[in-house]
Amino acid sequence: MSRVTIDPITRLEGHGKIEIFLNDEGEVENAYLQIPELRGFERFCEGRPVEELPRIVPRICGV
Amino acid sequence: MAEKLKLALYWAATCGGCEVAVLDLNEKILDLAAVADIYLWPVAMDFKYKDVEAWPEKFIDVCLFNGAIRNSEGEHMAHLLREKSKVLVAFGSCSCFGGIPGLANVANATQVMNRVYQETWSTDNRDNVRPQTSVRVAEGELTLPAFYDTVRALNQVVDVDYYLPGCPPVPERIWEVVGAIVSGTLPPKGATVGVTEKTVCEECTRRKEGKIIRAFVRPHQVMADKERCLLEQGLICMGPATRGGCNARCVSVGMPCRGCYGPTDRVSDQGAKMLSAISSILEATDEPAIKKSLDSIVDPLGTFYRFTLPTSLLHRARVERSK
Repeated sequence: MSRVTIDPITRLEGHGKIEIFLNDEGEVENAYLQIPELRGFERFCEGRPVEELPRIVPRICGV
Repeated sequence: MAEKLKLALYWAATCGGCEVAVLDLNEKILDLAAVADIYLWPVAMDFKYKDVEAWPEKFIDVCLFNGAIRNSEGEHMAHLLREKSKVLVAFGSCSCFGGIPGLANVANATQVMNRVYQETWSTDNRDNVRPQTSVRVAEGELTLPAFYDTVRALNQVVDVDYYLPGCPPVPERIWEVVGAIVSGTLPPKGATVGVTEKTVCEECTRRKEGKIIRAFVRPHQVMADKERCLLEQGLICMGPATRGGCNARCVSVGMPCRGCYGPTDRVSDQGAKMLSAISSILEATDEPAIKKSLDSIVDPLGTFYRFTLPTSLLHRARVERSK
């Protein structure tokens, strides 16, 4: 079995990595998409006044 | 013809808005292409990390690095691009100060992970699965970067040559800095570029009447006058504590400043500077009255340190380290 790693995925917003595993015939046996990035908006938006969220959550994705 | 500049753009913990700010140069991007070759730009061009690793040392003339350092991948890329670049620029507020992702310094890594992968109302994760730095699958091993307890600005990880703040930096300012890079007229190392000497407050054209206030109000509690200073109307505006360069962009359309350009050169802590500015407009004179006025600020941390918590004197909240 061999492996093809695409790291990073480009021309999109955010970070991503793909691992492709090939069997002995060179065919795709399995593939994994991984997201190596997390910032935690779910946590740090807590405690912020609701009227401020339209100024915080656009920074989830600015593309 | 002189050799073209070698330019790299990279993003760590970021939203990509800084990259779009570069695209917002519009047709000037062609002028940029005339003087510089872009070797790395994940949002717009294809490359792989192994390509960057293969470059010789100091191969890149200027690297614009945006995003905060949130995990081991960001830290690795910061070190790698420092090694490969003659000039490293902290590009945008996340890279300069930690930015919005830096607000996560109220919690540790475990608390963030628990909230994201377990506790939110919309999460259904009965097996309690969490991202792991290494996991065995049938075909082999998969790895992910280590998620840190503390978000850091770029200069808390590597040596930085210049700072270009803003969330995002204003395209006109980016263009000025590109001009300075091309003509070799950048100021001495360590300078903040693409900014003005003034504060946002000094750049703001709203009318200031020297009024003092008793308490702060939230937007739904007041019909704000379109011409007058927002702070004097009781709406918290970070203008007095924030470096200019944006032409008071938010304030001019009725949104109070939230401080994305960070503090001026003379100030080390933007929140402390803001408290000082507030104290000069509050009517309160004795301690209970001061406390009452300050209690009307709903979210001091998220207001005064919206973009600068990791580089502030506070740096982060005191919570125990993740195991």
